[in-house]
Amino acid sequence: MLKPILLVEDNPKDLELSLLALERSNLANEVVTVRDGAEAIDYLFRQGEYQSRPEGNPAVVLLDLKLPKIDGIEVLQRVRSVDHLRSIPVVMLTTSREEKDLVRSYKLGVNAYVVKPIAFDEFISAIQDLGVFWAVLNEPPPGSLKFERRA
Amino acid sequence: MDRGTTGHLLTNTTAAQDHDKQAIDLSACEREPIQIPGSIQPHGVLFVLSPDDLRITQVSENLGELLGHPPAQALGKPIDKYVGQAIRHKLDGAPLVRGRPSSLGTVQASVDGIERSFDAIAHPSPEGIVLELELVSGHSPPDLYPLLDRFTLRTEAATSVDQLCDWIAEEIARLTGFDRVLIYRFDSTWNGTVIGEHGNGRLPSYLHHRFPAADIPAQARELYRHNRLRLIPDADYRPVPLTPVIHPQTGKPLDMSFATLRSVSPVHVQYMKNMQTAASMSVSILRDERLWGLISCHHHEPRMVPFAIRGICDLFARAFSLRLAALEQRQDYERRVQVHATYAQLVERIADGSDFVAALERNPSLLLAVTGATGAAVVTQQPQCLLVGQTPTQQQVRELSEWLFSNVKQDVYHTDALASVYPPAAAMQDQASGLLAISVSKLHPSYVLWFRPEIIQTIQWGGDPRASAHTRGERSELHPRASFVTWRETVHQRASAWEPSEVEIAAELRDVLVGTVLRRAEELAELNVELTRSNRELEAFSYSVSHDLRAPLRHIVGFAQMLMESGASALSERERHWLKNIRESSEYASLLVDKLLGYSRLGRADLQLSPIDLNLLVEEVRQDVVRDADGRRIDWKIGELPVVTADLMMLRMAVRDLISNAVKYTRNQDIAEIEIGSHHEDDEVVFYVKDNGVGFDMQFANKLFGVFQRLHRWEDYEGTGIGLANVRRVIERHGGRTWAQAKVNGGASFYFSLPSSSAAPQRAQIHA
Repeated sequence: MLKPILLVEDNPKDLELSLLALERSNLANEVVTVRDGAEAIDYLFRQGEYQSRPEGNPAVVLLDLKLPKIDGIEVLQRVRSVDHLRSIPVVMLTTSREEKDLVRSYKLGVNAYVVKPIAFDEFISAIQDLGVFWAVLNEPPPGSLKFERRA
Repeated sequence: MDRGTTGHLLTNTTAAQDHDKQAIDLSACEREPIQIPGSIQPHGVLFVLSPDDLRITQVSENLGELLGHPPAQALGKPIDKYVGQAIRHKLDGAPLVRGRPSSLGTVQASVDGIERSFDAIAHPSPEGIVLELELVSGHSPPDLYPLLDRFTLRTEAATSVDQLCDWIAEEIARLTGFDRVLIYRFDSTWNGTVIGEHGNGRLPSYLHHRFPAADIPAQARELYRHNRLRLIPDADYRPVPLTPVIHPQTGKPLDMSFATLRSVSPVHVQYMKNMQTAASMSVSILRDERLWGLISCHHHEPRMVPFAIRGICDLFARAFSLRLAALEQRQDYERRVQVHATYAQLVERIADGSDFVAALERNPSLLLAVTGATGAAVVTQQPQCLLVGQTPTQQQVRELSEWLFSNVKQDVYHTDALASVYPPAAAMQDQASGLLAISVSKLHPSYVLWFRPEIIQTIQWGGDPRASAHTRGERSELHPRASFVTWRETVHQRASAWEPSEVEIAAELRDVLVGTVLRRAEELAELNVELTRSNRELEAFSYSVSHDLRAPLRHIVGFAQMLMESGASALSERERHWLKNIRESSEYASLLVDKLLGYSRLGRADLQLSPIDLNLLVEEVRQDVVRDADGRRIDWKIGELPVVTADLMMLRMAVRDLISNAVKYTRNQDIAEIEIGSHHEDDEVVFYVKDNGVGFDMQFANKLFGVFQRLHRWEDYEGTGIGLANVRRVIERHGGRTWAQAKVNGGASFYFSLPSSSAAPQRAQIHA
């Protein structure tokens, strides 16, 4: 069983387009969608609504920067601050070209930072590349992998 | 001194040697032993008496001629043996004060059986009592009351100093019978001017003539101050020595500082001869103990003025002085009132606006009048100084301010001889021999400067002394013409002095201006807070735009694309065309948003300054740009370019926009010609890109640098219209300017300038 891809996106149209793009990239991973930063935290920390979800970290988190309640930067910060989540690949998806967001994200250890291209085919290929790289090619750090398989 | 410093048309006070034997040594004049000539003029007898028993210790050798006794026999005799017992009472009763000869009235003596009257004058000296007897002429003394009454009436009626001077000259001439009476006034540096005159035409006029301070040296002025009246009845006299010349007790020659009969300097005698004057008299005018001026009288022939008349002249001079003080105070007061009114007007106008330079610019006549200047400049951080009236050039004013800023460091500074402290001022003597400066900033060379020209430019000549001075082959140094030349040297590159009241007003104005500047700074600080806040808001706004506006555009593009793919077969050709339009428009809108955000970032980003070799930068950009112009023929003419200090990223963007525009708008030319160059202009270095492309109509030249301004149809030349707005913003951030010139179908030239200060002197290697 492949680990899921966690897609954190509040905008329904973006969500729809992102899912379309993931669909077209033919990844076998399940895509879990959450709609704001708080929900993403709940999912990752297995708390609240997600306290009973099966154990295991997602293969990659596709994280929108600008989110209701808790923004993407803070989610990233929380993920990087605990041992069992620290190694999850996080890709920041954003509309923004603001340099300070980029700098902050890299400081917090983001794995990739993608400014969503305006042209849809470029977006699809960006998502495909990311999915292939992080969900398929990129071998997760040993700890998370073993943990996942035993589970 | 290399010239006749004591010679002067006034009665000279310097001591005389035996002028028949002794050569005139002009250079020695100032060092001349002024008080100890050892001889007297022959119109009286001089005794030195021992103070306790009034015995004669020295006497002039003309004792025999005037009193009929051999001088050698008189030594050791009591004075009353010669002039009667009464002299003892007179001497006892007189307040003998050193430095002030007292009149003892007349004394009688019998000479060869004939009674003679003498005016007796006495003063104490270290050697004893100096008693001088002048033979009283046949005339009876004038009736004092009508004289004083007339004089008082006239002086009281005078409404100006000039008028008063003319009147006293006339009264003195009437009283003494001298051919010419001059009123001579000292200025603060002891140069003199003739400000009043009365003459009968027998001697030339000297009204308004100027004389250097050296004409009446300090020790002579000091004597004039103490011994207020000096008469030389006949310049052609033979000096009468004292016997003995050396005082037996002190072993020194007699100090004759205060002796009215004291002999005259040979220099001065020569001077009088050259002037064709045989007799002269001077009366000192003191104000507040200071020598204000002199009443100077001359006569073509020898002329004796009796002691009594001289006394009245002295009285007149003192009354004149009182009236003078009153008039001068009134004039000074009126002038101050006037100046203060001017000052008040100026301050009111400064206070009205926040920009004091603009206020001064609008009121040039007030600015000049407030200090009585002929030119003024206001120097701020603006590239151009405000110049009013007669001033040096922009460049000279700027350099002068820099000099003041780094060398003078005073809030208020004034000089009437700028060239003596600041040599470059020699080149601007006609505008700025005098400078009054107030500093408005401690941080920058910001000044209000007032100028006055060399004084020689400002003088109203009653008659040109160069024309009226006839030398007739005498020693030309001893003549008013020579005095005038000296005076001109003295005042070379010198302006009329700034009055204390003018300096005070300038200082007060400075306080007002500094207050204005401070208030302005506070306003700016407030504005700055406001700007920071709105900048933050703007930043938040653009951040949100970049997210919120781009997202829906992306969605439009995305779903249009989906529709295009999935519904391709069901859609007609026209419908697919519409879909394509939807997608292209959204993409373009998104591009505009990106550009606008980039433009706003340009205004906010900090400048990262470094030296940039424009030669390298241009070449790099050019190679990059021509990649998109494959197959075209472009003739490049690139001149030698400077090294400038700028933000590399920003400057690259500006240069790239200009060059890529030139390439773009020449694409319909068979051979495109693009010229890139630069030159220095005033305080700027100017960079330009010229092309032979489509150009534009100059009536739109102003719109060109605005955001999203386009002058061409989309089908002809694509683009967002942000490029030149970016260029302008980048250049303005660097303190420069942007402009363009073009003709429709005649090519375009785009220019930007950077302040010269940003241009490095030599080519640096640094360029990323």
